[in-house]
Amino acid sequence: MTKIKNDKNIAATAYNEAAIRNNLAVVEYCRTSMAALSGCTAGLLGLTGLNGAGFYIFAITGLWIMLLLKAGPNWKKYFISRRSLLTNGFFGQLFTYILCWTFLYGMVHVY
Amino acid sequence: MPATTIHRLIVTIGFLSLFHAAYSAAQHRSYLRLNELEFTHLPSDIIAQGIISLFVIMYGVMYVAGDFRDIKASADLENKSWESFRNVPSFYTFNHRGKAFSPTYVSITKSALDEAE
Repeated sequence: MTKIKNDKNIAATAYNEAAIRNNLAVVEYCRTSMAALSGCTAGLLGLTGLNGAGFYIFAITGLWIMLLLKAGPNWKKYFISRRSLLTNGFFGQLFTYILCWTFLYGMVHVY
Repeated sequence: MPATTIHRLIVTIGFLSLFHAAYSAAQHRSYLRLNELEFTHLPSDIIAQGIISLFVIMYGVMYVAGDFRDIKASADLENKSWESFRNVPSFYTFNHRGKAFSPTYVSITKSALDEAE
């Protein structure tokens, strides 16, 4: 661990930017897949209204737990913040989710 | 752990299972329509299959997506010593004036050049 002492005697940690970007790209890939797939599942299950929103939160939390399980006990080696891993892109992916949800709902339950 | 064929296989199986669950749900819907029954909820086995196959796919996708890298800047340097840190083999120079110290070195003097002419 590289510690750089600055004037205020606060130890700053140097991060590798390429590695951070690589990790965020992996997480973004997982999150997009999760939004699309959980949307498909929600449409398949025939969820409507707030049930679907609840399922989205369930899916996102499930993905978060799976990512932390993959990172292992020392997740601080790979991510700076654990909470931003959960909340990043929440509303952005919601639209992907709704798209797949309505599509599969129409395919399975309407037609 | 890099992505292997097993993870791709898991993703494929998950997709097939999810598709099967969707097909079952559609069939259940048509069964209800033919018997003029009211739709309340899907049978619990279809619900369970859908949710389980979702998580199976996500497990596979997580490994197919790639590995995490250590974000500490010093992670790449940890298994290097200070002696080898500055060692850049591409910039080795062998043709320098130090070769004059070699006992087998033959210097070309001005008189030798004159004799050759």
